[in-house]
Amino acid sequence: MRTLMLKLEPIIWGLFGGGMFIGALVLPAWLLVVGVLAPTGIISATPLDFDHIYGLASHPIGRLVFLAAAALPLWAGAHQLRHIFLDFGGLSRDGLVGGVLYAIALVGSVLAVVAAVNL
Amino acid sequence: MSELRARVDAMRPATPGPTRTADPQPPANFPTKGNYFGYIAFGLGSSLMLLVSMNIVRTLWALMEGEAAFRALMESFKHPAYVAFHALCFAWLVWVALRFFSLFPKTQPFRIGPFQRPADGVLVAGLYGIFVVATLVVAAILTGAIL
Repeated sequence: MRTLMLKLEPIIWGLFGGGMFIGALVLPAWLLVVGVLAPTGIISATPLDFDHIYGLASHPIGRLVFLAAAALPLWAGAHQLRHIFLDFGGLSRDGLVGGVLYAIALVGSVLAVVAAVNL
Repeated sequence: MSELRARVDAMRPATPGPTRTADPQPPANFPTKGNYFGYIAFGLGSSLMLLVSMNIVRTLWALMEGEAAFRALMESFKHPAYVAFHALCFAWLVWVALRFFSLFPKTQPFRIGPFQRPADGVLVAGLYGIFVVATLVVAAILTGAIL
């Protein structure tokens, strides 16, 4: 598993960098509006409205943005979490930990693609 | 003058023995003190990013399943525990984003193609500006203020 991860490192690094950028630029606004302000009633409930969000997510550009915001930060999180585990646990379990984390990111990405395509 | 080079095996012991290199050990102040605390907090922020992304996957999936599934998900977001979790994630991810952007210039080469890299302060200010504008634009789109 470690050999495979070493071979895939350039791809994973690219996904990590993209995920950090997308995560930094899109996720805070999503969390603030959809996660805090709208549910608490501080702003109108428009962000929680099905037609509004469906309209955004089903637009070709919106579909790409939603897909990127869903899939890329999964890889950023998995990659950095793997390195935290490396710092605490060393190399001995890296194959298992990295494999599990990247598998989670892969499954999440596939689910996001399936959902985005079928909107 | 001939080039003098040390042989790579010049210090090899006559007989093989145990390595004299100590096992790697974390520094005494790892992980809670000094720069290590920020480093670990930054890394753990990525686990929140992972969870938030899973939530967006879940939202996309609910959108695909239809209005009832989406409404149920949005209703669950109104639970105080969920709101508190989202508020924590928001604060943590803003800090992670700003730290990421402030570290970004250090990861760039001195020259980018034919151009010299801009000064670190200019790069960081530009990225902070992009962060603020992107956050405002995404928030405006989500609230329906634009589009």
